Amino acid sequence: MIRGGRSYVSSSPAFSNDAKRLLVCTGNTVSIFSTATGLQIASLEGHVALVTSVIVVPASSPGSRILCYCWTASLDGTIRYWDFSVPELMKTVDIRMPIFSMVIPSLLRSPADSERTQGLYAYISTENIRKSEKPKSLSGQLRKCNLTKSSLIGGVILKETLRPEFISVCPSGRFFGISSKRKLIIWKVPQTDSDQVALKKIVLHHTKDFTVLAFHQSQRIVAAGDVTGRILIWRGFGNKTFSNSHGLMDGNSQNYDDVRPGVRGDDDAESCSTWHWHPTEVNVLAFSSDGEYLYSGGREGVLVVWQLDTGKKKFLPRIGSPLLYFVDSPDPTLASISCADNQIHLLKMPSLGIMKSISGIKLPFSAPEALKGICGRFAFDKAGLVALRTEAYGIQCYSLLDDRGISEVYVCERNHQPADEVTVVVTLMALSSDGSVMSTVDVRLPEQDIGGLICLKFWTSAPENKQFTLSTVIYEPHRDSHVSSIAFRPNRLMAVTTSKGGDFKIWVCKDETQQKNELGQSSGWVCHAVGAYKKKPMTAAAFSADGSVLAVAAETVITLWDPDRNVLVAVLGDTFSPIKTLSFIGQSEYLVAASGNPDPHLSVWSLSQLTKSWSYMLQVEAVACMENSSSFAVVALLPKSFTESEEMTFVGRDGVILLFDVKQPFPVASWSVIKAEGGGLAFIEGNPLGEYNSDWRPKHRLLAFINGHHEYILFDPFDDQELVEHSVSVNRSLASEETEHVGYASLYGELPEFDLKKSQKAAAEAVVVPSERPWETIFSGSSHNLPPLTKLCAAFLESLLEKRPAAVESS
Amino acid sequence: MAAMEEIHVSKTYPLKPKLKPRPKTPSKTPESKYWSSFKNHEIPNLISSVPSLAFSPAAPHRFAAAHSASLSLFSPQTLAATHTITSFSDVVSSTSFRSDGSLIAASDLSGLIQVFDVKTRTPLRKLRSHTRPVRFVKYPVLDKLHVISGGDDGLVKYWDVAGENVILNLKGHKDYVRCGDCSPVNFDSFVTGSYDHVVKLWDVRVGDENRAVMEMNHGKPVEDVLFLPSGGLVASAGGNSVKVWDLIGGGKLVYSMESHNKTVTSICVGRIGMEIDDESMQNRILSVGLDGYMKVFDYTNFKVTHSMRHPAPLLSVGFSPSCKVQVIGTSNGIIYAGKRKGKEAAEEIALGGLPGFQSISDEPLKRALRPSFYRYFRRGQSEKPSEGDFLVMKPKKVKLAEHDRLLKKFRHKEALVSVLGRNNPENVVAVMEELVARRKLLKCISNLESEELGPLLRFLQKYSTVPRYSSLLMGLAKKIVDIRAEDIRGSNELKGLIRNLKSAVEEEIRIQQELQEIQGIISPLLKMAGRRL
Repeated sequence: MIRGGRSYVSSSPAFSNDAKRLLVCTGNTVSIFSTATGLQIASLEGHVALVTSVIVVPASSPGSRILCYCWTASLDGTIRYWDFSVPELMKTVDIRMPIFSMVIPSLLRSPADSERTQGLYAYISTENIRKSEKPKSLSGQLRKCNLTKSSLIGGVILKETLRPEFISVCPSGRFFGISSKRKLIIWKVPQTDSDQVALKKIVLHHTKDFTVLAFHQSQRIVAAGDVTGRILIWRGFGNKTFSNSHGLMDGNSQNYDDVRPGVRGDDDAESCSTWHWHPTEVNVLAFSSDGEYLYSGGREGVLVVWQLDTGKKKFLPRIGSPLLYFVDSPDPTLASISCADNQIHLLKMPSLGIMKSISGIKLPFSAPEALKGICGRFAFDKAGLVALRTEAYGIQCYSLLDDRGISEVYVCERNHQPADEVTVVVTLMALSSDGSVMSTVDVRLPEQDIGGLICLKFWTSAPENKQFTLSTVIYEPHRDSHVSSIAFRPNRLMAVTTSKGGDFKIWVCKDETQQKNELGQSSGWVCHAVGAYKKKPMTAAAFSADGSVLAVAAETVITLWDPDRNVLVAVLGDTFSPIKTLSFIGQSEYLVAASGNPDPHLSVWSLSQLTKSWSYMLQVEAVACMENSSSFAVVALLPKSFTESEEMTFVGRDGVILLFDVKQPFPVASWSVIKAEGGGLAFIEGNPLGEYNSDWRPKHRLLAFINGHHEYILFDPFDDQELVEHSVSVNRSLASEETEHVGYASLYGELPEFDLKKSQKAAAEAVVVPSERPWETIFSGSSHNLPPLTKLCAAFLESLLEKRPAAVESS
Repeated sequence: MAAMEEIHVSKTYPLKPKLKPRPKTPSKTPESKYWSSFKNHEIPNLISSVPSLAFSPAAPHRFAAAHSASLSLFSPQTLAATHTITSFSDVVSSTSFRSDGSLIAASDLSGLIQVFDVKTRTPLRKLRSHTRPVRFVKYPVLDKLHVISGGDDGLVKYWDVAGENVILNLKGHKDYVRCGDCSPVNFDSFVTGSYDHVVKLWDVRVGDENRAVMEMNHGKPVEDVLFLPSGGLVASAGGNSVKVWDLIGGGKLVYSMESHNKTVTSICVGRIGMEIDDESMQNRILSVGLDGYMKVFDYTNFKVTHSMRHPAPLLSVGFSPSCKVQVIGTSNGIIYAGKRKGKEAAEEIALGGLPGFQSISDEPLKRALRPSFYRYFRRGQSEKPSEGDFLVMKPKKVKLAEHDRLLKKFRHKEALVSVLGRNNPENVVAVMEELVARRKLLKCISNLESEELGPLLRFLQKYSTVPRYSSLLMGLAKKIVDIRAEDIRGSNELKGLIRNLKSAVEEEIRIQQELQEIQGIISPLLKMAGRRL
């Protein structure tokens, strides 16, 4: 079983002390990525709910830079302490309250300061679960926790808020604060922290809701962003309250009022200035490590660098997605920004160049109302690749087996500006079964009925990499009616598109029809045939496994066509509501159709008798059929009433995967899942151990399920034994972490290790193993299929040589 | 993965107009590429039609054009007239260079043939014997002492130039003799073509003045006749066909090329190949006709390999022996001269061959660069990377048009105004589509100043009925009239533009109706035809 597709941007990441690793909260785990390669190298597993904070213990001296300890907090109510180089869990603090945010200011203190502290104190933002009956109660609590004693300090609730708030801490560990509605509440961390010491706080006011705040490294400067895009900077906050001398006179403060430009009321700050560039709310605020610059970002996807003294701006524009977090690393040349499209960009710092991107699976986005019904969700190919639509008018190819993005195709070549209104959307995509051809539909919505455009595009990719290149563009394939589905014919370069306008078109690649007899004629897709059935809107299409039959759903009836001659062969009965999905079941003579609202049904039709063989009243989200087999699987949504009544058995699970055999109308197996709405299902051929195309091993047939949040799971549906999790991706890429060379090795490379003992031992153990006998297979087959002799010869000769067993090498 | 991301993040995409469907014609063959590489250059302001063009066989291959009662000499480098000979009493009909390029013969309609020195342009000899206009005069390819001529008196004359007397008076054509050519391999034989449809091969060694060695019937009045370089084939042009005859096979017709629509007026031999004296050098027949087409005919494969249209009836064609220049004379006094860019290697060789330049080549060609040279500091800048070099590419800068830059800055109205000023309808529509995608088009329209509305209306009038743009522009025109009704009413100029737009739309509607009527007529016919099948 493989799980994957988690969000990398649920909370802010953290750099390790040597800035070579990036710790990212990914669901219940913390994934560790190499900043050099952008690949995952390890993960910290142990939390049972979403990890919300990760804090790397900073190095107090240059020597301790290699130390890799971190604290994590999670919604499961535990704080854990890890050595992430191993990775190993060192300590668990259970506080039995979901933690939304955690800061440990004393870690950031200079070593001289921290010696005076008796324990390690964390300030956590929790949700009070006990009070949840009263809807208007303040559920967010800011509490203090003694990590050395592993206990929550009872009775100390610094602040109660409506919702749990995110805590920001000063990089020098002197202050921390939260933004709560229109107030900024800042506490001073006492010099010697203990259980009982009282914390002093100040409150800064504003007329708009705050979104984010940041503290300056050394000076008493705090910056805060609000929902309108303003950035407020208070200088010298808390001079009155936090200063050590308590004897400030009233008259003194009167005096103060005259010289405090921009400060509201009697807030405790010297001055407040406002910068306004962002058009919408500010999500990212951070001071640079030298304190000279302020970084800000927001929904428009532009990172703005402000020079703190002059207010001059520099930009990193067109990141293409709302920015969520900015994290500076201990290495001054490296920083990271997390974007809402599940990507973390590693920035080369002074120049703001993007060095690497860690891209997770693209998150679902909401399509405009007009296109709700016709947006496709996923397209799978057999090798475990899924294509997903991205918000930035593209398609992401994501490898389910490796849990990483392989490539991105930019369907509409235009810059994406995150805006209120989505006007250009990629609505549909389809992959041919071998994954070499892709077809996409993108729609530009009209502005008051003018200027709308629907575009059908065909893409081809080279077999070795999944970089798709555009082959054909067809503007308005079905006049101005929307395309409702695309299907590729197996084993042939033929595709069918159906439209709500009442017709379907069969497209063929010119390559195939003309065999390239024209000189220099580039290949392209052309319309081969057009068909319609009683002018009914066509809603779904599917080719049979051998490609000889095309089934097109004309609203409630299924029409069967001969795709080559474009002749209507047969019409299959009537469903009660329009058919959403249509699929042939393997090589069998059955067809499965899922119809949607208002009367959802799953029905199986027999092609030989042209009748319905059985049906269920199920709201089906996705159907997957297996090649060469009579089984198929569906994801069905559980009815609302059902989930409510049997809450105990289905905690938060709203869907169920059912595995059927077509012969009998009883599910063979079933699994309940969460967030099934908007999910996708497919059978893929792959090896969960990540070794591709090892012919001698039978291929695993895996069922892939992607839920509405694009988290996915791969499992073998026919395996009765318990689902064992393979941590595939981690092991595979562990080796890819780069070890840095120093001194001699960095100049001349590493000397080959000369292990005399080992080689002697190896020689002694060099048992001759019987070589494989490839000649039995490599020369079989028809002559025009054989690879060139030069290739065969090498394989043949190699097979004649005696082989040293592989085991010796690994010893 | 990551490497690819880098390219896309923070990259600007310039606006791209919609793709146009490519025409189904096959892409350019290397041959048509070669012929279109002759960059066309017009030489205007000649007095009247150009009935004859001749290239000097000697480098630098100057060419002469006969027009009206004068003969102009042109330089092949600049394609400009260098000298004009005007000592003619009537319209010059034909001209020909001697094989060494030092003399030129020209005939005129008074019946006089004159021979000039090319350098001094002085008439050296006047050959007077024809009683009617002379239509062609030709120097033999190998012979420097004689010329042949023919004219409207139906006679072909073989001249001794030095003595100004006629050696042979060949009678046999029954109509005007219009053309002739001398064999490239033989001193003594030549062909003539006449309006009596017959091409005759003559041999001066045959004593009988009335008997041609061979006769070929072209079937139409012969306008031009040509020996192909092998000497065994003859091409004749007449009517709208060019025919190739095999002399060795006894005057057999090899092929008839009939791709011109009107009379073919002139033919010449063109050569294709990159280098002179190349093995792969191939010969073609270039033919021009009154239909304005210049066609390239491959007579080994019997295929027309290239054709090019000119906006006037064409009368004469010439092709430089250096394969660099191709000239076409028209009936309205314009010469279309095509010059092919290429290494001036031929000229350099010619120069190097001169004794005066011999000594220079003894010095090493490349002197070692020393820091006192300017070039020393620029050395290696244009170095080409070799096979194994690791290339560090400079990121390519995206060139942005003005409207792209404005769109990037969200200055939508300015972008629209700027692109309307550029006169590129594709880009205008692309900008409009982008504005639609940003939900800003109608806002832009309502924000336009009334003087900026003019160009937009003019654009709509011109392009709103073009099928490719009409789906967007028709709707837009409607909206504009709705939104800006007040402004349009207020300005007379805008009112006029709206009137124009209206008439353009009405015209389109009329056309559509007519087309529908035609469709109505045709569709039953097609149905019936389909039923019969």
